[in-house]
Amino acid sequence: MGDLLSNARSKVLDLQSRDADPAADDTALRRLALWCLRYTPVVMPWSGHGGHSLFLDITGCAHLFGGEPGLLTDLARRLHRFGLHPRLAVADTAGTAWAMARFSLSSTQWSDRIGHQPHPEERAQRASRRVGNRTHATTAGTTDRDYSPSFETPAAPAPQDEVVRGHIIVPPGEQGDALRDLPLAALRLDDEAQATLSRLGFRRIGELMRQPRAPFTARFGTALLTRLDQALGRAPEPLSPLEPPPCYRAHAVFAEAIMTQSHVVEATTRLLHTLIPDLERDAVGVRVLRLMLFRLDGDVLALEIGLAAPSRSVQHIIRLIAMRLERLPMGLEADFGFEAAALHVLTADRITERQATLGIADDAGEPTGLSALIDRLEHRLGAGTVRRLHPRQSYIPERAVVALPAAEHPAADWRHKAPFGTRPPLLLAVPEQTDDDVLASVPDGPPRRFRWRGVQHDVAHVDGPERIAPEWWHPGQDAPERDYYVVEDTAGRRFWLYRAGRYGQGAESPRPVPGPLVVLSGAKDLAVEPSSTTAAGCHSERSEESFGSVRTAQEIPRSARDDSPAPTSSQASPTWFIHGVFP
Amino acid sequence: MARLETSWHGAPPSYLPLGLPEIHRHLSGPGLPCGALHEVLAAAHGDTPASFGFILALMAGAVQARRGPAVLVVSRQAADFGLPYGHGLQAFGLDVGRLLLVRTRAGKDALWAVEEILRSDAGAAVVAGAVESNLDLTMSRRLNLAAATAGTPLLLQRPPSATATSAATTRWRIAAAPASRDRFDAFAHWRWQASLERCRNGRPGHWTLEWDHVAHRLRLAEVVADRTPAAGRRQAVRRAV
Repeated sequence: MGDLLSNARSKVLDLQSRDADPAADDTALRRLALWCLRYTPVVMPWSGHGGHSLFLDITGCAHLFGGEPGLLTDLARRLHRFGLHPRLAVADTAGTAWAMARFSLSSTQWSDRIGHQPHPEERAQRASRRVGNRTHATTAGTTDRDYSPSFETPAAPAPQDEVVRGHIIVPPGEQGDALRDLPLAALRLDDEAQATLSRLGFRRIGELMRQPRAPFTARFGTALLTRLDQALGRAPEPLSPLEPPPCYRAHAVFAEAIMTQSHVVEATTRLLHTLIPDLERDAVGVRVLRLMLFRLDGDVLALEIGLAAPSRSVQHIIRLIAMRLERLPMGLEADFGFEAAALHVLTADRITERQATLGIADDAGEPTGLSALIDRLEHRLGAGTVRRLHPRQSYIPERAVVALPAAEHPAADWRHKAPFGTRPPLLLAVPEQTDDDVLASVPDGPPRRFRWRGVQHDVAHVDGPERIAPEWWHPGQDAPERDYYVVEDTAGRRFWLYRAGRYGQGAESPRPVPGPLVVLSGAKDLAVEPSSTTAAGCHSERSEESFGSVRTAQEIPRSARDDSPAPTSSQASPTWFIHGVFP
Repeated sequence: MARLETSWHGAPPSYLPLGLPEIHRHLSGPGLPCGALHEVLAAAHGDTPASFGFILALMAGAVQARRGPAVLVVSRQAADFGLPYGHGLQAFGLDVGRLLLVRTRAGKDALWAVEEILRSDAGAAVVAGAVESNLDLTMSRRLNLAAATAGTPLLLQRPPSATATSAATTRWRIAAAPASRDRFDAFAHWRWQASLERCRNGRPGHWTLEWDHVAHRLRLAEVVADRTPAAGRRQAVRRAV
């Protein structure tokens, strides 16, 4: 303790260190406090001075677990199963329980840290657990019986019997005796008061108890004596209990089993009506809802209904449920009927109230009815039916637009997103290859005649080309570059078609070799372009390619294209694809 | 007559102006009536993109004139020529940020979705559907009624074979036409052959329309004045080659 990390590392070889994360500690403590609600309705997490603790008010609860020892044993066992090593104490007051859990006998570290010898008569044990240099202590308190588990760093798993044995139960009314020999730190004082008291020669609580009270109040204010009084039970210490997160559930048991869908919908409507006031009170709406129908033979039919936007409208939710019931593949399957139904709100989101009754849409031009519409469409036609188009940063046309589900993604801003060239309003999902060879007047030139889907088109006018090279920063970078043309045939129909690769570099010709480039001996002065360089890319061949030469693969030295498959034929005309149509 | 037809549900008849007095003269009012079903047919299967373009042009006008999102329902079969593409729609002049795309498997689902949207209080500016499935008279009446109740224009793209009677207020047949070119001989504006085949309280007509994607409006193509020099120039180029 108290060492620098480097010193500690020199002492312990395999020391593991983590950065302290107080927020995560608090969250974990809160979760544990929620779990502790199984013992008592009043649980208070304490993460103030002196580490993390939990106070449990077990007044009137202990007998449910076989008395205080039984409750402690049960709690210790369960926490031990979580990998925690709690120090538990039960006392009349929260302060005493905290003090006993933290500063009681069997700790050896205690004397090192605080510099005091514990009194041998203290009946207490502590199982200590330390992570980094943070400590968690859990203390449970009651107004008349107090109870405190306290976890700290799991150094080594304690044996089971020690875990079970290791708690303190202070008998009623004996707080004074229990606290007498504990150090002053057990009073949950701030550092300054502790330091002053130790300068004045006070070490233990007992010494403080014997002193007259007036000078202390004058010197330290009321805080010190209030803590003492609270620990001794002379002053009340109210616990502010943890509010469990709201849970919206409703269930109903039917006198007669229901079988038809209309009855199920009716029952669900009633259940939902009971939930709505709670949702309204908390200003939240349903996002995810689960309807469970319990069949007479023990089967449970569970339906989950998700909404695009939080809603409290019974009519809307019931419509979605009815739609979902209609879409069940096997029907309702109510063989013997359903005897009970339960409705759980799994996710509830805050609804921002706004005045929409005037029938005026907001600035985005989208009235509130839209999300309800999206819900209905998606529940009937399947998720992802309703989409919005969103632009993406890409040069490849099919990558430049994505259709995202409208329920989750608000409208995109399309201004200033226009690409350089002409784009068609209708784009084929997959570019379709033309039926046979495209007739072009010159190689690498615009098409003159092509056949697509069995129809021959004579080209009357061409705009283009627009060359789009593959994006080398994406996979598939060795795809051939595309030359796009806007083409109008003699009937006035307009197409967007492209030639994959250049002449002599078609689909059956060697593709550009990915990976390290092999520079040929005669081409040292070649400026290497990553997107278009094939292994055969020397100057002379390139210039010939543009004139439509069919010699590509044959002349390449075999060693230079070891990765690429050998060409099967000498046919080297490029492939043409239709990618879209213009109106 | 028009007032009698549309005022029974209590809402004042409003119109989606096309900005073309020549066409307005054939219609029942100053534009396409809102709250009504309008069918757009392709002249042939290959003209489906052209008919889609005409719907997009009407949608762009409606989005500008009215509040709320534009909803486009596409069934899988009707997406034969591809799905709407954001950058292309934006370049066309439609505000993609206000577009909702509903994709359904079957045409029946698409029709259901269209009716659901019209009957909801989502306040759509315009609802358009590309539906291949059979639209019988009953269904078209339902849709027309839903559109009338909502006061929302409903545009349905139909296959070229859909000649059955329907309750649509107007029926357009669209064919592709050669686009106009600018002085650099590049494509300037898309053009379509649009014929108004059926129009309640109106009379049919035939026009060559041109979509101005900058001004977001349709206009009549000056066919004779524009085509001849362009064709002549192309002849000259050919001779030079």
